[in-house]
Amino acid sequence: MKHTATVASLLALFAAGAAQAQDAEAAQFRDGFLAGEIDWSAVEARAAEEGTVNLYYWGGSDLLNVWMDRVVTPALAERDVTLNPVRITGTKDAVDLVLAEKNSGKGVGQGSVDMIWLNGENFATLKRQDALFGSFARLLPNAENLEWNPDDPRALLNLRDFGVETGGAEVPWSGEQYVCAYNADRVAAEDVPSTFAELRGYLEANTGKFTYIKPPHYIGNTFVQEAIYAHNPDGNGAEPFQRSVEEIPAEELARLIAPGLDYLRDLEPLLLDAAGGTPRYPEDNAALDGLFLNGEVDFNCKFGLYAVATGLATGSYPEAATQFVFPEGNMIKNKNYLAIPANAPNPGAALVLADWMTSVEAQASKLQQTGMPAGIDGWTLEEAEAQSIVEASPGLVGVTQAELDANAAPDTNATLVDVIEATWLEYIERDSTDPIEAIVARAYDNLSK
Amino acid sequence: MSVSSSIASRSGAQERMTARERRTRFWQMVQLVPIMAILVLLFGGALVLAILQSLGFAPWFGVNTFPDFSYFGALWGSSTFWVSLGLTLYYATVSTVIALILGILLALALVKTFPSKTFYKYLYKLPLMIPYTVGIALAVLMLSNGGMLSRLAAFFGMIDDPAQFPQILKTHYGWGIIAVYVWKQTPFITLAVYAVLLGIGRETEEAAAILGANRRTIFFRVTLPQILPGVVSSTLICFAFNVGAFEAPFILGGGFPDTLPVVAWRYFNDADYTLQLQGMATVVSIGLVAGVILFGYLAAYRRYERRMGRN
Repeated sequence: MKHTATVASLLALFAAGAAQAQDAEAAQFRDGFLAGEIDWSAVEARAAEEGTVNLYYWGGSDLLNVWMDRVVTPALAERDVTLNPVRITGTKDAVDLVLAEKNSGKGVGQGSVDMIWLNGENFATLKRQDALFGSFARLLPNAENLEWNPDDPRALLNLRDFGVETGGAEVPWSGEQYVCAYNADRVAAEDVPSTFAELRGYLEANTGKFTYIKPPHYIGNTFVQEAIYAHNPDGNGAEPFQRSVEEIPAEELARLIAPGLDYLRDLEPLLLDAAGGTPRYPEDNAALDGLFLNGEVDFNCKFGLYAVATGLATGSYPEAATQFVFPEGNMIKNKNYLAIPANAPNPGAALVLADWMTSVEAQASKLQQTGMPAGIDGWTLEEAEAQSIVEASPGLVGVTQAELDANAAPDTNATLVDVIEATWLEYIERDSTDPIEAIVARAYDNLSK
Repeated sequence: MSVSSSIASRSGAQERMTARERRTRFWQMVQLVPIMAILVLLFGGALVLAILQSLGFAPWFGVNTFPDFSYFGALWGSSTFWVSLGLTLYYATVSTVIALILGILLALALVKTFPSKTFYKYLYKLPLMIPYTVGIALAVLMLSNGGMLSRLAAFFGMIDDPAQFPQILKTHYGWGIIAVYVWKQTPFITLAVYAVLLGIGRETEEAAAILGANRRTIFFRVTLPQILPGVVSSTLICFAFNVGAFEAPFILGGGFPDTLPVVAWRYFNDADYTLQLQGMATVVSIGLVAGVILFGYLAAYRRYERRMGRN
């Protein structure tokens, strides 16, 4: 009897959550701003009135944390806004919080997250759950630092995030490319692989000297995607993977990804610690950096255009670390973004922060101090501004920008990433004996639930 | 007249007694309210929610197929679940047993008198004050292939490359996990057993020795039955913790197949929200397994106590 009462009261709690309440005045501000009726000085006035902005971001980089405290905090203080940086271990924590609050009935002006640094699946989740503030990005004064013309192919990364249309609900903050580094003290320059076949050849001679981050971590997913692009049976690389699951049947996707996954499965016995039975896949960047620094692996692949330059400066990379082009033609390039959730408690301050973050000044100092590449587009800037970004760059080590551009490939559609990661877990980690077609079909079923 | 009045006054006194009793009982209830509120609302509520979600009730992710046993079916139907369960129980049992043996030996040593005993009595408690995560970090720093031991071995030329050091952490034998649990739990068990040993005194052991029993017999026939309450309560706590613990198997474990708490975490941490229900089914399964084992352990202990004539 008592239990029934508890359950009933809990159910009542959720039922109450269904009726979405919101702060009427904040909702009015949102609607007015998105309709273009509120000018920027009024936004700034409102931001000063709100007084605080809660930025949730992955806090695993000391350089970035220091930059937030030393540069962003004073810059916002000039605008009478106090930055509250909430450093989280995984971006999904912030997404969880937004969704939990949204489902308990908190609307705009009532939640606790003003801004999240994210991309890919996390943005796709918020979009699918209708938990975004709205199309704000092009209304910011600094939106002119970005290319928005859909006819220009260079605008693609501003308009689509892992193939999902951003719709202006997030603003680009940083651009990245998946780059590998090798330790020149351990690997001779002529042995450095540039294709997956050469990587396999290297590992046959030097078994155990390579591993990649374990999917479903996005850095591991990206390595798997590159292997899939390179082994695409149609030979057109990333092209078929720009469509969403709705546009590509399960059998077709299974056919396209099978050779890449078979390559990775056959590579398993040559990976780190595979001699002891099971290969070891590190959980995150820090773990992989540790293995690389310690000489346990010879290569370190991750999103990090300037990772070697900053790694050498902080001592987290071995002294002879050098970047190289791998895999030829399939080095995935993407952007990461700042999004405002639908229940942001301080929408005005969040807009002011988003605008400041896309300024040339902020982008140049971020690049210089943290090694995070600029998210704004150089060709939209005036010459002096563009030059300040170039000068702030910590520099590439061993590769040129032209090589990186020539070998760039787009990211995989976020909905396909879910399927590919589920297939990797099933086919490679769990050594499933089912054919790839069956595993992909199951992943499709799970997604459509 | 006097008799009847005395009866009346006695019955009045009785009524006052029951009123006082009622007040006492009321205050007892009031004192229980805080802990009951925490147990019922926080733990009970979380448990009810976990069970509801594991049965398909999660309208906030757009899933509501309650009651739906398919999550448990999918979980229990896969062979990897049973491998994970086996690993979880293996790490929990082996480390509890090793810690128990070391703990009893240490407690027996501590009741004797020896030089600088006070110092050792403080020293052995040190791991109790250090959090598990610090213990895990120590294990990584010392025992991993990039750790102090492997670097020293490479430095002295015993191996060419730190990577060649025999792998202690990150294997399914779980030596790293067991080492951390034993390091942290031996003092805990020692503390519990030592307290019981102090309470019972040494007279019975001395009597047995005078009657001609050898040390082995004294331990198994006299000491062990007396310290059993301390042994049972401390191993119960350690085992329950080890089954549900996440950090050590996550950081020091051998990867797939993982222990059940790590499996649950992987489900929760996946960007695909529908997998959270599978994670809840895993959490509820951990609770069920731990509950059944601990209940069986306590029931067996109660039977033993009754047979011994203790209540």
